[in-house]
Amino acid sequence: MVLDPKMKQAVIRRTVRKFAEDKLVPAAAEMDEKAEFPARLAEEMAALQYFGLEIPAAYAGAGLDSVSYAIVIEEISKASGAMGLCISVHNSVSAFPVYEFGKESQRQAFLIPMAKGEKIGTFCLTEPNAGSDASSIETTAVRDGDGYILNGSKIFVTNGGVSGLNLIFAITNPSEKGREYSVFVVESEREGLEKGAQEDLMGMRGNPVCPIVLNDCRVPRGNLLGDEGQGMRIALATLEGGRIGIGSQALGIAQACLEASVKYAQERYQFGKRIADFGAIQGFLADMATRIEAARLLIFRASSLRDRKMPHSRESAMAKLFASETAVDAARIGLQIHGGYGYSKAYPIERYYRDAKVCEIYEGTSEVQRIVIARSLMNK
Amino acid sequence: MNIVVCIKQVPDTPNIRIDRERMTIIRDGVESIINPLDHIALEAALDLKQKEGGKISVLTMGPSQSEEALREAIAAGADEAILLTDPGFAGADTLATSKVIASAISRMDPFPDLILCGKQTIDSDTGHVGPQLAEELNLPQVCGVTEIHVEMNALVVKQLSDGFQNTYRVSFPALLTVSQGLNVPRHIPLGDLEKAFSEGGVLRWGLKDLNLRAEEVGFSGSATTVVRLYRPPQKRKGEIVSGSSQTLAEHLIGKLVSLSILDEDEAE
Amino acid sequence: MKTKQNRGWEGVWVFGDYRNYFQNRVTLQLIAKGNQLARKLATDMTVLVLGSQIHQYAMEYTAHGADVVMVVDHPSLKNYQVETYVRVVSKLVQCFKPEIFLAGATAFGREFFPRLAKRLNTGLSADCVALEIDRSKRLLIQTTPAFGGELLADIITPEHRPQMATVHPGVFEERIHDQEATARILYPEVDIEAEERVQLIRSKPEQGRKGGLEEADVVIVGGKGLGSKENFQMLFELARLLGGEVGATRPVILSGWTEESRLLGQTGKNVKPKLLITAGTSGAVQYTTGIHGAETIIAINRDPHAPIFKMADLGLVGDAKTVLSLLLEKLRKRL
Repeated sequence: MVLDPKMKQAVIRRTVRKFAEDKLVPAAAEMDEKAEFPARLAEEMAALQYFGLEIPAAYAGAGLDSVSYAIVIEEISKASGAMGLCISVHNSVSAFPVYEFGKESQRQAFLIPMAKGEKIGTFCLTEPNAGSDASSIETTAVRDGDGYILNGSKIFVTNGGVSGLNLIFAITNPSEKGREYSVFVVESEREGLEKGAQEDLMGMRGNPVCPIVLNDCRVPRGNLLGDEGQGMRIALATLEGGRIGIGSQALGIAQACLEASVKYAQERYQFGKRIADFGAIQGFLADMATRIEAARLLIFRASSLRDRKMPHSRESAMAKLFASETAVDAARIGLQIHGGYGYSKAYPIERYYRDAKVCEIYEGTSEVQRIVIARSLMNK
Repeated sequence: MNIVVCIKQVPDTPNIRIDRERMTIIRDGVESIINPLDHIALEAALDLKQKEGGKISVLTMGPSQSEEALREAIAAGADEAILLTDPGFAGADTLATSKVIASAISRMDPFPDLILCGKQTIDSDTGHVGPQLAEELNLPQVCGVTEIHVEMNALVVKQLSDGFQNTYRVSFPALLTVSQGLNVPRHIPLGDLEKAFSEGGVLRWGLKDLNLRAEEVGFSGSATTVVRLYRPPQKRKGEIVSGSSQTLAEHLIGKLVSLSILDEDEAE
Repeated sequence: MKTKQNRGWEGVWVFGDYRNYFQNRVTLQLIAKGNQLARKLATDMTVLVLGSQIHQYAMEYTAHGADVVMVVDHPSLKNYQVETYVRVVSKLVQCFKPEIFLAGATAFGREFFPRLAKRLNTGLSADCVALEIDRSKRLLIQTTPAFGGELLADIITPEHRPQMATVHPGVFEERIHDQEATARILYPEVDIEAEERVQLIRSKPEQGRKGGLEEADVVIVGGKGLGSKENFQMLFELARLLGGEVGATRPVILSGWTEESRLLGQTGKNVKPKLLITAGTSGAVQYTTGIHGAETIIAINRDPHAPIFKMADLGLVGDAKTVLSLLLEKLRKRL
């Protein structure tokens, strides 16, 4: 008998929410305050397959579909934006390309440890001089015998501080005119790879974001992902799924803002009544809830298309764009609803505010998303 | 060891609304969960299976939607799941419920060594199904178990009952109901949930699959009827006091004196 | 058993649970209520007592108002064991045919009565908080809690007999001990097959339960509204000064402010103290099901619309931490 997928999705949501409430919520504030990644908690999550969400069971993954994946990221992010970011990037942007573009030997060598959470992954694209303009990167990968020598600096690497495997985006023909990009899987222990100090960021502080420098780092040919010159294609394909992950992550933060604001508005009394009874506050909450619902549906649409193996570049861009802006807005209004107390660290809303902002920036800024969407509307 | 775990899907809601026609609660749009003590029973079964080997079958009597609970149990580690569902089973009290479940268990070959149930559910709160199942299947029972140990051909269990801690030895086959404190159910890996919902199946048995007549089950097979379901009238005084913290603290002291928790002279 | 006309079934029976006698007074409470019910039905109230050397209890029950005391005194009945008792009692019920049979909702009662009801193929309601008679139909209306006490259900057993119910201790009031009272004492002859498949190896009084929450006269519960683990610690001194124990809600346990054995509610303990002070708790159902039974509830919360106030006898609207620390100051001076 064909089961209604909603049944499974409801159980997954409930299961993850319970885990998040039991384990992540109590840890989130401290993670943020100390800017510390919770290693033990990550191990527990690894055992429950949070690091192999969409990877097939054959490679030790949970084998979830995209819709279920989005649900998991949302519920984790609701409890802790930093942890949601960690698993979203690890799954969508690091493990996925290894699965999709890797040879069988690479899947065995790299994908399985990633799925088990034994090696957390990163995707190193951004450089000091290359953000939105990814094609202007300067990291090179020069052929050397049967391998390559990598040189360059990557910054703002999510999960960098605790990663075991790093996907490095580099130029493979630096001395030629037409640029060719390639992606290499580089183990953190490999000689020539150095990690810098953790960045001191506004939000997502529980995520060990750091720079990674490659200094004559020699990697064997077996670490080239896909073919030489396939780099850009890999990056673009990866970002499509990455947008769903980040969108869900933003949605989780927005949802947290909504729940906190609804609760606070019913507890706070001024001028003889609950602030929830004032029209202005009701307007805020209504708009927040409506936009969150819309964001959720956009994410659902993008992930459903992905599950049916249909093109979803535009839809995922819309989802990421809308959800991230919704999160920032929800945090702003949510903090306003909390008034003076919202400005205090005694309430989590200021953390949501700080965490939300970056969702409009990484994995394709809102401006870039708009370009993607606009271009998809035109004939040429 | 062949273990049968009986579970029930119950509503997970702090906001209960009553269907005044059917004298039951409105379940539409309300999330359902596995009764918490049944989770503990399942966890106990998983523990025993880990130590002794064997097979775990999970059973539930309920509407089609209860399949969700069974699949969750499979994800947790149950080997087999059976949904006892039939329009004729509806409206059953514990007498009729235990009749249906007992009939299903009797069909199992081999007959289980151990049947585990949660001591009571969070919706009906009766705690009757366990003992009534034991009676119907003619099995020894211990209710509210807080520890289970396996010995040669017997179980040694502990129970907290009316101020006493009792230790019993029960031979197989037996039925135990479990209490809070026996264990803490494990978290389920996501891949196991995915598998449980995409592969395999849940067996469905209805009236015609069990050796029962329509009058023995459901509403017809019940001895009790709910004639009214309502919110308890508020018998709390509900006196509300506001003011400065000083005022409130003093009011509190006054109340403690009036309840004879503090002596008058101690409160100047 | 099911019986169309219900004729031939008469009398109100109460199961005499005399363990922990003196603290456990539920049988006395049921005798009083049973009498009331019997009067309405113009019939007798009988207490059934099983055990070994139990004459003293028969006397007690007589003094507290039983019309009839039915005694089965046999060495094999010394320990309360489910299967043996079900066997003996079901035979007596089938012989004497009471229309109503009540037992206290002690742990034993709640284990033994359902099995007995199944053997007798009759209906049973659990943990009743009210009992009334519908005289026109000669029916017992049994009111039980559902959803942890959020709702009440009125239940009847229209066609099966006896109408069985376990009753929540403390709901009914016992009659005062009367030395002059008399009762008919019966010694029915019944086969005692004392075969037990459940062997009692050891039984010892429950000791040093962490917190002794369930026995405490005063319970002070802290919720997340207290603000911090340090603030929560205040409750321990307060409890000590008032001769009570400390309880907690789930969010507090999850935040690691105190140990799980102090958890109250749906997945924790139920308490019935004389006084319960609940501070910084909003009143979620998962928690309040554990405190319904408290005699007096005082709630402290800064939100006057917090659901907890609906179930409080006295509600103080203010900051829990501040009010309690002031209380603590005053108590330290006095005690």
